[in-house]
Amino acid sequence: MKRLPGYLSVLMLCLLASGCDLLSIDNRPDPNGPSLEDLLQNPTRAKLANLAIGIESASRFELGIYLIDVGMIGREYWRFSSADPRFTGDLLGKGTAVLDNNTFYITRPWGARYRVVRNAYILLEALANAADLSEAEKKALAGFAKTFIAYQLLLNLNLTYDNGIRIDVSGPEPGPIVSRDEALRFIANLLDEAAQDLAAGGSAFPFPLSSGFAGFDTPAAFRRFNRALAARVAAYREQFDQVLTLLNESFYDPTGDLRTGVYHSFSAASGDLVNPLFFDPNAPAGDALVAHPSFAADAEPGDQRLSKVVLRDEPASLDGLTSNYGVYVYPSANAPIPIIRNAELILLAAEAHIQLGNFDTAVSLLNRIRNAAGLPDYAGPLTREALLDEMLHQRRYELYGEGHRWIDLRRYNRLDALPIDRPGDDVWRQFPIPATENL
Amino acid sequence: MRFPLLLCIVAGMFLAFPAWGQRLVEGTVVDARSGAPLPGVSIVLKGTMQGTTTDVDGRFSINLPPGPQVLIFSFVGYRTQEIAVGPEVTRLDVRLEEDVLGLEEVVVTGLATSVRRSNLAHAVATVNAAELAEVTAQPTLDAALSGKVTGAYISAYSGAPGGGLSIKLRGISTINGNAQPLFVVDGVLIDNSQIQSGVDAVTNATGGGSGVAQDNPVNRIADLNPEDIESIEILKGASAAALYGARASNGVVIIRTKRGRPGQTIVRVRQEIGFNEIAKRLGTRTFTAETALAFFGPKGLEEFQAALNGRGFYDYEDLLYGNRGLLYRTSLSISGGNERTQFFASGLLHNEEGIVKRTGYDKYSLRLNLSHRLTDRIQLETTTNYIRTATRRGLTGNDNSGTTFGISLAATPNFVYLLPDENGIYPDHPFNSANPLQTAALMKNEESVNRFIGSGRLRVNLLQRARQALQFILEGGVDYYNLENDARFPVELQFERLNVDGRGPGTLILRQANTFNTNWRALFVHTWTPGTLDLTLTSQGGLTGANFDQNQLLFVADGLVPGQQNLDQASTIDREQTRQFQRDRSFFFQEEANWADRLILTVGLRGDKSSINGDVRRFFLYPKASVALNLHQFNFWRWPVIDQLKLRLAWGQTGNIAGFGIKYTSFDPTVIGGQAGSIISRRRGFDRVKPERQTELEGGFDLSLFHGRAALEFTLYRKVITDLLLQREVEPSTGFGLETFNGGELENVGLEIGLSLVPVDRPGLRWISQIRFWTNRATVTRLPVPPFRALGGGFGATLGEIRIEEGQSPTQIVGIDDIDGDGRPDGVFKLGDVAPKFQLSFSNEWSIADRLTLSVLAHWKYGGDNLNLTMLLFDLFGTTADFDRDDDGDGIPNGIERVNLLGVSARPFVQNASYFRIREIGLYYDVPLERLWPTLHRTVRRLRVGLSARNPITITPYKSYDPEVNNFGTQPVADGVEVTPYPAYRTFLFYLGFEL
Repeated sequence: MKRLPGYLSVLMLCLLASGCDLLSIDNRPDPNGPSLEDLLQNPTRAKLANLAIGIESASRFELGIYLIDVGMIGREYWRFSSADPRFTGDLLGKGTAVLDNNTFYITRPWGARYRVVRNAYILLEALANAADLSEAEKKALAGFAKTFIAYQLLLNLNLTYDNGIRIDVSGPEPGPIVSRDEALRFIANLLDEAAQDLAAGGSAFPFPLSSGFAGFDTPAAFRRFNRALAARVAAYREQFDQVLTLLNESFYDPTGDLRTGVYHSFSAASGDLVNPLFFDPNAPAGDALVAHPSFAADAEPGDQRLSKVVLRDEPASLDGLTSNYGVYVYPSANAPIPIIRNAELILLAAEAHIQLGNFDTAVSLLNRIRNAAGLPDYAGPLTREALLDEMLHQRRYELYGEGHRWIDLRRYNRLDALPIDRPGDDVWRQFPIPATENL
Repeated sequence: MRFPLLLCIVAGMFLAFPAWGQRLVEGTVVDARSGAPLPGVSIVLKGTMQGTTTDVDGRFSINLPPGPQVLIFSFVGYRTQEIAVGPEVTRLDVRLEEDVLGLEEVVVTGLATSVRRSNLAHAVATVNAAELAEVTAQPTLDAALSGKVTGAYISAYSGAPGGGLSIKLRGISTINGNAQPLFVVDGVLIDNSQIQSGVDAVTNATGGGSGVAQDNPVNRIADLNPEDIESIEILKGASAAALYGARASNGVVIIRTKRGRPGQTIVRVRQEIGFNEIAKRLGTRTFTAETALAFFGPKGLEEFQAALNGRGFYDYEDLLYGNRGLLYRTSLSISGGNERTQFFASGLLHNEEGIVKRTGYDKYSLRLNLSHRLTDRIQLETTTNYIRTATRRGLTGNDNSGTTFGISLAATPNFVYLLPDENGIYPDHPFNSANPLQTAALMKNEESVNRFIGSGRLRVNLLQRARQALQFILEGGVDYYNLENDARFPVELQFERLNVDGRGPGTLILRQANTFNTNWRALFVHTWTPGTLDLTLTSQGGLTGANFDQNQLLFVADGLVPGQQNLDQASTIDREQTRQFQRDRSFFFQEEANWADRLILTVGLRGDKSSINGDVRRFFLYPKASVALNLHQFNFWRWPVIDQLKLRLAWGQTGNIAGFGIKYTSFDPTVIGGQAGSIISRRRGFDRVKPERQTELEGGFDLSLFHGRAALEFTLYRKVITDLLLQREVEPSTGFGLETFNGGELENVGLEIGLSLVPVDRPGLRWISQIRFWTNRATVTRLPVPPFRALGGGFGATLGEIRIEEGQSPTQIVGIDDIDGDGRPDGVFKLGDVAPKFQLSFSNEWSIADRLTLSVLAHWKYGGDNLNLTMLLFDLFGTTADFDRDDDGDGIPNGIERVNLLGVSARPFVQNASYFRIREIGLYYDVPLERLWPTLHRTVRRLRVGLSARNPITITPYKSYDPEVNNFGTQPVADGVEVTPYPAYRTFLFYLGFEL
């Protein structure tokens, strides 16, 4: 190539020169979704509203697995799945099976809750730069976001219990795992902080809440939901004075409708989620949600809450378990799932009064629940032990399928009262921290 | 761009081409065996660029300078001959011998240049048309490569019609990136996406232990018609593929389709008729009243007694998978042309039915390839190919809804009654949410693709002198397809009627995808032969660009108006859209120096940038260098029995561009109560993402003996991949689930041996034998993240999973196990490895009297484990055929024993998936028409009949349908996870072919 003709060099140069332009590439944004960078730099009212709606919506993600986790270990019902033996295997401690720290029953709900927490922290971070929101609206959004962070953390703590959770998760790297006590304290404080924000939150949220928050969709009303959650947390912390104080700020109504409260709403509409616990009570055993036989067996005669299960046309058997009843707590794919409702608040009040020694008040509250279920007044002994039994019994039937029994028996150290259905089955106390937390 | 290009062409036209020559030599070139004239043979005056080609009748004439000269005669498929031409010679007749073992074929080295295999510095696997698709009919291209390429791990992941294969070259090249090779057909970068059908909306396969899509899609390379292919060259590692840069890390498969040749027009018609049948049945358990009661409760007992009292027992495996699916295949090709214009046109009709009724695969293909010589200097080539495929794959594999054929079958004891009544009404399955016979009869899952692939190439000889030549090449191509997957689950289906998904009875799933890929290259090739040194220098350099655009839509409609098939006739519709775009721009340069075929040195460099990278302006550089030393070309060589001994060493780097969107952190949409919300994506973006980098060093030798009767190719390689695209699961408490980043290191060391023999070559009998042996060891040498489950690597340690772990093989299978025998799991242990210890394939062809040909391709994969979860599912339902047998004689039936190990040990699921398989067998007879029917022979030149079979025999210890399987389709690392797949089948065919 030592004597390359001149005109060829010129030609090559032309091509290379035009080549520079030929080789340029644009840096284009993501064509498939809004970017985090953009949101933090230019948060507008509409974008923040979107984020808030996302928080409520995503708080339903993997809720089905959460409810199956706590409901199965609490022996409320069994998820039969021929495709996945781990429901009736690991969750019930079949034979020598144990709860794995890298399996969907813990990893998926755990991750989904923290995802909502992340969204809420992004919202809190973006609020600082939001120009087209009033101070009151910012407070309202902050209160909303913090309440959800607290609620989501509480659900994860319900799963891992003494193994603890992470609470310092606002930054890019998560903080350490903290003990249950510390986590509950953090959650309670966050709820209090949120309540203060909500109190300064003006008259309306700058975004729409779903029908699940009907009646609780203003900052003031939402604050009553926040206080109800705080009351539950106080009960978990055994601060029973506090329970009563908080209930008074909540929507607690001893004579009101037991169903009043806040719900996760579901719908089969486009893009929406359906109720994950809705199963045809007669679904074949290979893919069904059946009631634990003890639910029907242990019920008081005449308890109308037995309608929460349905006698199946055929018994369902799988993996050595047999049930005659299908779960019918949620009668349709659109049925909402309670986050917290008045019945629980009444039972929390009853619990607090029992613990504080106000047995008569407690009995009248328990009777409110009993009578609503078509049962006569409580006729048992007025002792702390007996009343606690009755309170837990009422919680079991009133809040069936809402994710409480395992947690209730655990905080009263009564997990050994749960039935063992197959030799070698275990009742787990808590889930391991997911392996992906890299402890 | 256009202006300088035009300038190039115009300038080229006006360049002077000096006539050169003092004497004319004329002659003919014929086939040494048959004496038939050979058109198109290249004749070059040694040490120069000067040359010519033979015409239609094999004649040539060439001007030679005075004095003794040497002419080199070369032709595809024949051994090159160098002939000394004395100073007085004017007439030269040459007989070329067939290159039976392909030792002299021409192989691509750069992007525009090729080199004879004998001068190549790295191992390149080639598969020619005869090997590819002529032993037996091949429905898809990828399947046609199985067992024919050393260093390739090719595994079908489902028996479903239409294919679906994973191809990995030289081990594991990536952990989370794209793992499939780059396919280049006539210069067009071919899209090989896998587009999920969306039937997950019914199966909910991702709703359990693994969120990785499990719809078992076809790889789109399957669309090509294997019979259109002239040759395939496979550049396996970075040392060979460096000039393909950032997309070549998994190797490059360079495909050239057939061209016409000057001469008589040849019409070939090929007709095949045959059938598919299930390769292996699993059988089912024989129940007693006790076992029916124990496993299926009182209802089970009732059903069992009904069966016993006259209703009968049924073999549901046979009713579901027992179909003998017919296969019809007609192909036609016409080729020919004159010296200036050549054409090749082909058409294909392929229809086959699977082993499940109403499943199948249809393919229609039309092709026109044209070559035209505009002037002596300018040559144009175009290829156009239209393809339509329709793939009906049924509904198989994993689910979490009891709906797939396989899981429904597992739940079906032989005493239930699932057959339709006289009105075609199917009874409900008493123990499952779907009656598989009903599902198979009423559902539809059909993927149809309309695809156009076209390319054009312009070649201009700008300069042609005795000692140097300059060529300009401009080529471009387009690959466009529209895919539609139409899945319908009518309201009559048991699981739809029962509304298992809670979204209303009846489901329609419509997937649409549009893919539009274009690429172009502009380059110069300069060849220079300095007079004195016996040296040839070939330089090439240029620019390339490639654009990829894809738009995928998915609609899931539920709550159908009965009998309706329109999305509008549904109460709810979910939709999903994914857009992708990619812009790649590159430059490259290569210099090759050849010293008298003794020493061949090559160096090259490519620079690549891409819109996928975090920094779209940065060029990533990929160098290469290689040397080949032909000892037999030196004067000291005095062993005539050894035709060739070549030592070779090659080094190079390639990249692997990340998947689309890794650099973005975005929000996902979510809807509640009709309001649109945004939730942060589970994937945390990585804005500094760059391509993975592979560095490969390869060395070996080629030995050819006994005048081309034996050849040995021996290659050792070591490739190291750094900057791996690691997708770690980030601590979920951050709110994110996944994050991709560059890090870690992966190493592959392997050995490839190819031995080709012609043990017998007499006029009456020729026997050609090829043995290929290959093995690879992969190790994760550095992993800056904790061990994690490979993508699609199973469902967790309880059931066994493929785990990426530092210091271990990336394909290791780990699971819980009970080491001390106390009946409790003691932790997670290594239980197996997906990677085979070695693979060996053995192909033989015997042709007797040039009339009768028998070809057999056998393939032995030794070692390698699968995770067989099919057996577990049958065990859990208590329907496994050997459930009641007691193989170890301890009084506990097999089934019970295995079920009891669930949660204690994953060992029962890890099963040896070695196999010995007859992949292809074909027996063909050329009817001697010239003797039997001379009048017909005037029009029909050749008539061939034959019988063939694909995968007729498989011997394996594996305890399920077939050892080639993967529930997760093509994955970068994982393979062999089995969950009730579409069973593998074998094909038997009758062949009739003629040539006009």
